Amino acid sequence: MSAYESELSANPMTHPAPRILLAKIGLDGHDRGVKVLARSFRDAGIEVIYTGLWQTCEATMHAALQEDVDVVGVSLLSAAHMTVMPEMLRLRKDLGIENIPLILGGIVPVADHPKLRDMGISAVFNPGSPVDEIVNTVRDLATKPHPVNVKEAIAAYGKKDHRALAKLITVIQHGESFNGWKPPPGKAKVIGITGAPGVGKSSFISRIGKRLRDRGHKVAVVAVDPTSPVTGGALLGDRLRMMSGAPDRDFFVRSLSSGDAQGGIAPRCKEVVDLVNGFGFDFVLVETVGAGQSDVAIRKVTDRVLLLLMPDSGDAVQFSKAGIMEIATAFVLNKCDLPNADATEAQLISSVGDTRPLWKVSAVRDEGFDAVADWLTHS
Amino acid sequence: MNIKPTENRSKPTTRPVADKPFVAPEDLGTFDPKKALGEPGAFPFTRGVHRTMYREQFWTMRQFAGFGTAEDTNQRFKYLLEHGQTGLSTAFDLPTLMGRDGDDALSLGEVGRCGVAISALADMRRLFDGINLGEVSTSMTINAPAAIILAFYIAVAKEEGVALDNLRGTLQNDILKEFHAQNEYVFPPGPSVKLVVDTIEFCTEHMPQWNTVSISGYHIREAGATAAEELAFTLADGMAYVEGGIARGLDVDAFAPRLSFFFDVHNDFFEEIAKLRAARRIWSHVMRDRFAARDERSWKLRMHCQTAGVTLTEQQPMNNLIRVAYQAMAAVLGGTQSLHTNSMDETLALPTEQAAKLALRTQQILAHETRVNQTVDPLGGSYFVEKMTNEMEAKAWAIFDQIDAMGGVVKAVDRGYFRRCIAESAQAEQARLDRGELKVVGVSDFIEEGPPNIDILQISHETEEGQVKRLKALKASRDRSKHAAAMQRITDDARRGANMMPALIAAAEADATVGEMMDAMKTVFGSYDGGPEW
Repeated sequence: MSAYESELSANPMTHPAPRILLAKIGLDGHDRGVKVLARSFRDAGIEVIYTGLWQTCEATMHAALQEDVDVVGVSLLSAAHMTVMPEMLRLRKDLGIENIPLILGGIVPVADHPKLRDMGISAVFNPGSPVDEIVNTVRDLATKPHPVNVKEAIAAYGKKDHRALAKLITVIQHGESFNGWKPPPGKAKVIGITGAPGVGKSSFISRIGKRLRDRGHKVAVVAVDPTSPVTGGALLGDRLRMMSGAPDRDFFVRSLSSGDAQGGIAPRCKEVVDLVNGFGFDFVLVETVGAGQSDVAIRKVTDRVLLLLMPDSGDAVQFSKAGIMEIATAFVLNKCDLPNADATEAQLISSVGDTRPLWKVSAVRDEGFDAVADWLTHS
Repeated sequence: MNIKPTENRSKPTTRPVADKPFVAPEDLGTFDPKKALGEPGAFPFTRGVHRTMYREQFWTMRQFAGFGTAEDTNQRFKYLLEHGQTGLSTAFDLPTLMGRDGDDALSLGEVGRCGVAISALADMRRLFDGINLGEVSTSMTINAPAAIILAFYIAVAKEEGVALDNLRGTLQNDILKEFHAQNEYVFPPGPSVKLVVDTIEFCTEHMPQWNTVSISGYHIREAGATAAEELAFTLADGMAYVEGGIARGLDVDAFAPRLSFFFDVHNDFFEEIAKLRAARRIWSHVMRDRFAARDERSWKLRMHCQTAGVTLTEQQPMNNLIRVAYQAMAAVLGGTQSLHTNSMDETLALPTEQAAKLALRTQQILAHETRVNQTVDPLGGSYFVEKMTNEMEAKAWAIFDQIDAMGGVVKAVDRGYFRRCIAESAQAEQARLDRGELKVVGVSDFIEEGPPNIDILQISHETEEGQVKRLKALKASRDRSKHAAAMQRITDDARRGANMMPALIAAAEADATVGEMMDAMKTVFGSYDGGPEW
């Protein structure tokens, strides 16, 4: 093994948290099972990316590529498995990510199990399968050795291979090095998106990302969610707000866990941002975890910081001039479809007392985003 | 049969059954039967909404059915009517439930799979071919596009010359529980509830025999809620619709009698009975005291029940017959007005004809052989059941207080309250299963090796191809200018906040499809991405 290669297998005790992408495909809304499993995986120390309801096969496999997960789990209770799973396997091959095992859970007649395994599905679980068994299967699949050839990945990154970008982010997250290689300097505008939990950061990014794409810009998103300090697992839920529409190569989303980093961002976040920037995006949007008054680390990894607020959030942030209010380059009052938007705006203007921009938007109504996009593009 | 030896084979589960080995009269505290129970058919209706209950008339045996094309389902309807069923119940396929046409990209593999595919008026016409809509009562399980499906039904009735005030049936039309649990929402909560109130207003004026909303706990429970959460969330949703109707300017007594409820009946036999009794008592107080309803019919909570699909197991599927039979008995002892019994094969696939018939037979045996109908509310006065009923009620009021403190149901939806509670309860139940505190026969204990040995229903992919072809032909042959005008009217009426029903009926008659009408409304109402909690 050369100095550039790093083996990402070995001892499960020291192995970083496995990553699984959980997907519901099609229109079936039965999500009790997938949600129970998502929480059980988190509690078992696994990072879970759930892409939400109503996904296509194509969008799911594109997400798996960008997230560089160890396993993709599909939940189907609509009896469409013999239509959906062959399509998933075809896409996996086309995208060149055949190293990612696919597993299936749901209402699947036992007679179909051998057929599914023969076509290449690694495991099939039915209602009543013990959670421990499912967790252990995912762990086994995730810890199978799949060495990353960092040198080759760097070469492929240079040729704009999105798989290589995804892989190299994993290398950073695993605490490995590039042995002196640095990504080329990028030209992207790097924007931090921060705000309290539930203020709608991911929905905002989904809408603003679409505006920027409509204007022809290539957009990358680095979204951070908290790691459980107890189990080391995480529910990475930001992506599910960003999954609308057809898959788009130039809208690259990567979910990261906060690990033991402080201040609302991920460990080695700056390195990830530089790597993504160097790949050739026009915008890199970095979403923090639900942030409090003193979560200001985002300032160090981005050029500008948008602080999101919502109507009646005055008490929570108190519009104090210290901390997170201080690092904001501009403010976005989200959820302006709710009552009291105007009152909150007035309160905010009077308490900030300077000329930093402030926009009112509503993700539900899809209103107000053009002005923000104008500012991001032109200033 | 190879039966694995298991430990604790005959010991009871470790889940606490009750605090004490038996309930004594003093455990009921200040319980006053006159106040807490009243007589059957009288306030607060704890013992039942009718004075004589099943002594005079059995509950309605209403089996949910629907698969494949409209013709397939039409055949099943006729079969069930011939075998003594007394009401029709329609299951729609996922594309229809989501308000999408069969040729939509997301419909792939799901057309006609879990229910009947209805994309346009022509499909509805075929669904009820040869069935007199003036003589049957039809229940339609549909929510986000409920107003459109109702428009189709009305259009078929008009073609057949059946007067609207003769139509009997129920529209599920309960969008709130979609946000809590079942996930078949399309528009944001505000406009979604507005559309429900539109149907309430329209039916109050034109279809007085129609049950406008079947306020449903079933899906909330199936998604993992506890019995108390199911009870409280469902009644809270009911209150939200009543508030909506009153805010629209309707007299509460003009529409409240046509609201009905739909509960899940799970395995915990006495808890389920207590839940149904508590539901009636709470609702009567809410309607009389909170909403000042004066008509006694507004105080009565009428319910449909369905046995709990989530309790059925794929392993040893015949065991499901037994589970369903016990659950059915709980529903009847709880005083339900109608009942669906699940088929034993529902965790494997949609029911075969044989399995569907056995499910109906389960109810017939219960009705005609067990004599559970010989007296009204036979468990009334049982110390245990009355105590449990009181506890259920107390838990529900505590939850109402929480919801009120959040500013009502729609605000609580926005905050992810319901989804969070349900997901947490589901995970807690899974944890109890994993720890061995809950036992499931054939799954956690008394396990047999080998695959289940019953036939299951197969549905061909031809359904989808046929439906897509018919849809194409319809779109090519319809009157374009009539269609365009009808579509324009939908967006116009949505913009000016009008009741949507007249525009939707006109669009149905212009052969507009479900997907087209939903998309037109989306341009005004917006769409919803699922709220804060997943």
